[in-house]
Amino acid sequence: MALYFFTPFIAIILTILGGGIIFYILGFNPIEALKFYFLTPISNLYGLSELLLKATPLCLIAIGLSFCFKSNNWNIGAEGQLTFGAIVGGGVALLFYNQEGFYILPLIIIAGAIGGMIFALIPAILKTYFNTNEILVSLMLVYVSKLLLDYLVVGPWSNPEGFNFPETRQFSDSSRMPLLFEGLRIHAGIFLALAAVMLSWFVLYKTYLGFKIKVSGLSLKTAKYAGFKGKTMILVVFMISGACAGLAGVGEITGPIGQLHRMISPDYGFTAIIVAFLGRLNPFGIIFASLVVALTYLGAETAQIFLQIPKYTGQVFQGMILFFLLASDYLLFFKVKILSLKKNELRH
Amino acid sequence: MATDLRISNVSKIYPGCIANDNVSLQFKSGKIYALLGENGAGKSTLVKILSGVVSPDNGEVFLNEKNLKLSSPLDAKKNKIGMVFQHFNLFETLSVFENLSIDATEDNKSLRVRINEILKKYNFSIDLDVPVLNLSAGQKQKVEIIRCLLRSPKVLIMDEPTSVLTEQETEELFISLKKFCDEGILIIYITHKLKEVLSLCDEVAVMRKGKVVSVSQTQNERVETLANKMVGQKLAKIKKKINISKNKDEIFKVKHLNFYSDDPFETNLVNLNFSVKKGECLGIAGISGNGQNELFQILSGEIITPDTSIIFRNKEIAKLNPKQRREYLMAFSPEDRISQAAVPELKIYENVALNNFKSSNFFEKGLVNEKKIKEHSKKILSDFSVNTDNVELKSQFLSGGNLQKLILGRELITAPELLICYNPTWGLDVGAINYIHETLIKINNQEKSTILISTDTEELLKLSDRIAVIYKGKLSKIMPSEEVTPEKLGVLMGGGSID
Repeated sequence: MALYFFTPFIAIILTILGGGIIFYILGFNPIEALKFYFLTPISNLYGLSELLLKATPLCLIAIGLSFCFKSNNWNIGAEGQLTFGAIVGGGVALLFYNQEGFYILPLIIIAGAIGGMIFALIPAILKTYFNTNEILVSLMLVYVSKLLLDYLVVGPWSNPEGFNFPETRQFSDSSRMPLLFEGLRIHAGIFLALAAVMLSWFVLYKTYLGFKIKVSGLSLKTAKYAGFKGKTMILVVFMISGACAGLAGVGEITGPIGQLHRMISPDYGFTAIIVAFLGRLNPFGIIFASLVVALTYLGAETAQIFLQIPKYTGQVFQGMILFFLLASDYLLFFKVKILSLKKNELRH
Repeated sequence: MATDLRISNVSKIYPGCIANDNVSLQFKSGKIYALLGENGAGKSTLVKILSGVVSPDNGEVFLNEKNLKLSSPLDAKKNKIGMVFQHFNLFETLSVFENLSIDATEDNKSLRVRINEILKKYNFSIDLDVPVLNLSAGQKQKVEIIRCLLRSPKVLIMDEPTSVLTEQETEELFISLKKFCDEGILIIYITHKLKEVLSLCDEVAVMRKGKVVSVSQTQNERVETLANKMVGQKLAKIKKKINISKNKDEIFKVKHLNFYSDDPFETNLVNLNFSVKKGECLGIAGISGNGQNELFQILSGEIITPDTSIIFRNKEIAKLNPKQRREYLMAFSPEDRISQAAVPELKIYENVALNNFKSSNFFEKGLVNEKKIKEHSKKILSDFSVNTDNVELKSQFLSGGNLQKLILGRELITAPELLICYNPTWGLDVGAINYIHETLIKINNQEKSTILISTDTEELLKLSDRIAVIYKGKLSKIMPSEEVTPEKLGVLMGGGSID
């Protein structure tokens, strides 16, 4: 059991080692490069604020995904739910583009959550009533929502004064998340993420719904035998997951971005899958994991500036984390036995 | 060249059960040998030893007086022992030829020639270039047989080969097997179907509880004598007092239970009708895989079948799920206690909460009432003498017997009117079995009813008031248990008919 929560640390250490080796092969001093990657970005207040800014959507989405994953529902399309939530929330923000009022931001947030929820319901309903595979459906819907966003920002919703740039108008000040500190980009969305952590802990560990999710995740046969209504639960966990992703999307567009354009998320929805597993699907583990993974985003940017390596190394690191996590899980819980086979035995 | 296979004093002990107890057998080519026994008699273990899948704790296997050290299936292959398992080991999406060429040692051209020779010789009609998934079960089995024949085996072991075959395919198989036998291949045929033994085999070895109880010529045997040997006549000494009374109310009544499945590994159920009286135990006997799984799931509400009528305490419950059925005071104890009746990773009290009634108040307004669940769990642990008082213990640390006591306790502490259990003592030690049998008798004495689906005939004869046998998804007529003998049961379980 202790090992179960220990393997994420092993995975992180192995990732750092692996990264060092890659930097060495690329011709950099690995220690220096790793310092640029993991320490420089958070060595000042601005960097810390950026870390929290990136961790916020990751944490929110991963919390939502943990409901799905814990109950054996494989929602891979959080990126699509994020996008659709941003579209719905952004739509509301654009309605009020020339107005101010305290009620606007809450409206946008609620609209975004509902948008994500609706978009997550599509794979859920198809799964419960038509037996489709939720992995495929939710994944493919990502591209649907991205293309829809694309269409909106170049077409009907594009800024009339925007010289045909693929973006909408700037949202009004009342549509923006309040900043926490002057001069830093960290915004009130972080409280949404923290609230989601608390709430999910309560739901998962203290309610009947949480109990049903846990049992279904461990054994679908037992859930069936106990008479849990499987269909309702699938719908509920997808809705929770979609709402969280939608909130993350709204947080981005009303926070650092302030409008809708094509690139509202650097694949937060996909990266959050890694966060959810690195955090062991545990609400507090997810906080920790989201900070670690957010750092790979920041590190990639610093590395691009100081070492002239593409920022896609961030994805390499994220991939390595998942790879090492799965590998250490596998190798820690299984016994490895090396068998020697003689050559003639192989031939027969 | 004649083949002589000798098993000498082979034993294999698994934790909690002796699978093979000092088994010695001798086989000579030119004959077809049957290995007969109930579920858990030790046939499969013996076959696994012969095919190198498991190593015996004691004893040796000799082939033509050469001591075989079979430590892997590869060793068995090298020593020309071929094996066709009940479930096929074929790649469904690959063609027949590709499947056969996977472990071949020659080039494709000569392999194809050899396969065609075999096809012609034994009159098999299989298209080598269609994917395996398009084949019938009988054809797939032929592919497995061809795979063995390609290695010119000395011994061919068939494990319950007819369980997936139609009557027609079975006949074809028997013709082929007789041909192989004439060519000098030693055939060992594992089954629990008595008629097949009599029509196909020359000699029969019967196993019971890990031991070989008889070896005889089939010409000296009849269905009844074999059934007797297979089931054993040893009856439990404390048989419960039969409490059938014609006047008692029928508490549970099933009409027109039909189930059709697309899954080839599930059994279709054909028009089952039966009822249970108050305070009665209805036993349902049968070799496993004859529809018991499906029957249990339909009775518990895990599978809902249209057009079935299930009346319980004068209410129609056929459309209700397990949770709703529990509210009407039914309780269920499935066969699979480790991954269905309980979750090993959950703590004892969490497993107790799986059976939750509105009135039990485990969950109030959607919130977990841990205190209540734990109190309730403590009571179960002490009332049903589970060997721990720690409700925080994960149930994976309970022994099989204690886990089963916990499950039965959880189901019974709500005083249900009807308990449906499926192989409740499967894999348990004698002490736990006795405890569970006593418990089941006790609830009948309290005027509560039970349906006992079991593959253990001894248990059924000990506990049931009336018994029916399920065979290939059909239920025999229901007999008062004093009229039932092990012999009769054995015949019915093997697909025969009585009177």
